Amino acid sequence: MAKTEQRNGLDMWGSKEKVTDNEKESYGSDPVVNGSAIPGEKQVDRYGFAVDAHQYSRDSAEEIPIEVIRQREAKWLEMLKSWEAKKHKKVKERCQKGIPPSLRGRAWLYLTGGKVKREQNKGKFQQLDNHPGDPKWVDIIERDLHRQFPFHEMFAARGGHGQQDLLRILKAYTLYRPEEGYCQAQAPVAAVLLMHMPAEDAFWVLVQICEKYLPGYYSSGLEAIQLDGEILYALLRHVSPVAHRHLKKHKLDPILYMTEWFMCAFSRTLPWASVLRVWDMFLCEGVKILFRVGLVLLKCMLGSQENLRACQGLYETMELLRAIKPQYMQEGFLVQKIIELSVSEKDIEKEHHTQLRRWKESHGDLHCKSPPRMHGAKAIMTAEPPTWQELRQRPTIIVDSLLPSKTDVIQAEDAKENGKTQEEKHKKMVLPPQETGNLYLSPSDPSLLLKQLTIQGSKESVSSAEHDTYL
Amino acid sequence: MGSDDGYNFVFKVVLIGESGVGKSNLLSRFTKNEFSHDSRTTIGVEFSTRTVQLSGFTIKAQIWDTAGLERYRAITSAYYRGAVGALLVYDITKHLTYESVERWLKELYEHADPHIVVMLVGNKTDLESERSVPTDEAKEFAANKGLFFLETSALDSTNVEAAFNIVLAEIHRKVSSKEVIRGSIGAVSLNSSRAESTEENKPCCRNI
Repeated sequence: MAKTEQRNGLDMWGSKEKVTDNEKESYGSDPVVNGSAIPGEKQVDRYGFAVDAHQYSRDSAEEIPIEVIRQREAKWLEMLKSWEAKKHKKVKERCQKGIPPSLRGRAWLYLTGGKVKREQNKGKFQQLDNHPGDPKWVDIIERDLHRQFPFHEMFAARGGHGQQDLLRILKAYTLYRPEEGYCQAQAPVAAVLLMHMPAEDAFWVLVQICEKYLPGYYSSGLEAIQLDGEILYALLRHVSPVAHRHLKKHKLDPILYMTEWFMCAFSRTLPWASVLRVWDMFLCEGVKILFRVGLVLLKCMLGSQENLRACQGLYETMELLRAIKPQYMQEGFLVQKIIELSVSEKDIEKEHHTQLRRWKESHGDLHCKSPPRMHGAKAIMTAEPPTWQELRQRPTIIVDSLLPSKTDVIQAEDAKENGKTQEEKHKKMVLPPQETGNLYLSPSDPSLLLKQLTIQGSKESVSSAEHDTYL
Repeated sequence: MGSDDGYNFVFKVVLIGESGVGKSNLLSRFTKNEFSHDSRTTIGVEFSTRTVQLSGFTIKAQIWDTAGLERYRAITSAYYRGAVGALLVYDITKHLTYESVERWLKELYEHADPHIVVMLVGNKTDLESERSVPTDEAKEFAANKGLFFLETSALDSTNVEAAFNIVLAEIHRKVSSKEVIRGSIGAVSLNSSRAESTEENKPCCRNI
């Protein structure tokens, strides 16, 4: 097979971004499919990327003390229990700080309204999943499955369940929205989601991203992305007149540099720690975060005369923008700049209005009239206020608390809400064997907790998680 | 691969064709001598350069690559601007990708310079056993349309150099036989009309 040819001393570098893959070994979940696997031997970083995959392993992540992470988790668990629009300011602040990794998938599900969508459409995903799909779309999607984050352990194996899930949710989308079909940039977005949550959840979050956050981005004609390119360029004039002038001088069309940035929400551009921070904010506050990232990068790379001296032409400028200096993409720096940059929804909507008018003058009416976009979690919730049932978390494994008194209190509260008796509620609980300790349970005997902890735990009792697991 | 300092010409060449035919790997094979089975889907524009020597001249080939999927054609006019050469690629094992060639040609002539040099490229000859497009058929089609033609394999390098070199040589031949206006340090335009020029109008090095 081609594998042996590749070992002929030919470099195995992938595309321009210089992601290395010196040996085509699979470390995915189904290594047998990829032939030359040495299961368990490949080194991956904390995000699942092969350690030699430069773009991702260049770990510029901030190191947060474990106690802080535990505290943040507790706060998030509390917020998720009582998710409502009026707490948005708190939610926004916490998203800016970065969602704790263990709760990121769930937080994204709630932020985007994916959770609500899932509850409102019970059985829908299964229905779509069982359908064979339009062969035309399935064929095109299948060609792309091994081309999304191939250096991530989840997607490395051809035919592995990462790639299979990718096919499932992209295919489901083409069935859910047949008039939209499939657009290649949806695949990396879907892949990022799958790294954090199961297929059904990822599907609904994808739906929300395509329809609420970035409507029209993936539609035929790609008008929305072109318009956003013009908006980005227009906003740049105020943020960095030097950069703006340079782009104008060399007639560099925004579509030549911002397409992949925006369509993939920077998941193919930034180091992974930064991708996650940007997504935390993007899913909370909406597209303005993407605009801010773009503006920061443009300003950093093209905003000073020094940087521009070597940059004589259109092509050279494109090369510069394709090789953003690592310090500008570093998590701490980038997040700070994003928060500081005062570009608001109003600014974007105002510019959108202007650019749309200009577009109509030169192109005529838009072919693809997408609904107006929602600027983040609060807007989505306000537009379609969910019921508490739709927000209710449903852990699949529930462990009975070792503290009967507290349990009774909580059960009583639940029972009141449900209108059911305590007995009925109790019957629904599944009790796993006592040996499997729940790390987040507050035991009556503290030393029991310490024995069960596999990591240095916080002394703070995570009482809100008594009936919670991370499953 | 040739030094980037000091070149006589810059020729912009675009790679077009259906998704998955191998455009990105042709690019990486020619400009970096690299190939990957799992190179990422192209979203937006990718590009790379390589400097070659032709008839004593140093030519910087600026190769552009973009997404092949249908809906990306909406954003191609910026992509085609200033291109003097094109490689129209199909996959010899997927007949459908060959059937779209006519549409790609139409798209090309709508957006690019009318004098653009075009080569039809049947890629993936390493998969001979799965061939579904007969060589002669494609060769005849290319001849009818006035296109160059070659079959290549980005995987094992067959004819990749040749494909690009033939196109570059032909561009050079055309450029040398006309008066040319060089734009801002960038690509050379084949159009001899003065209206095409941008800010800097320097006469190019003429072939004596």
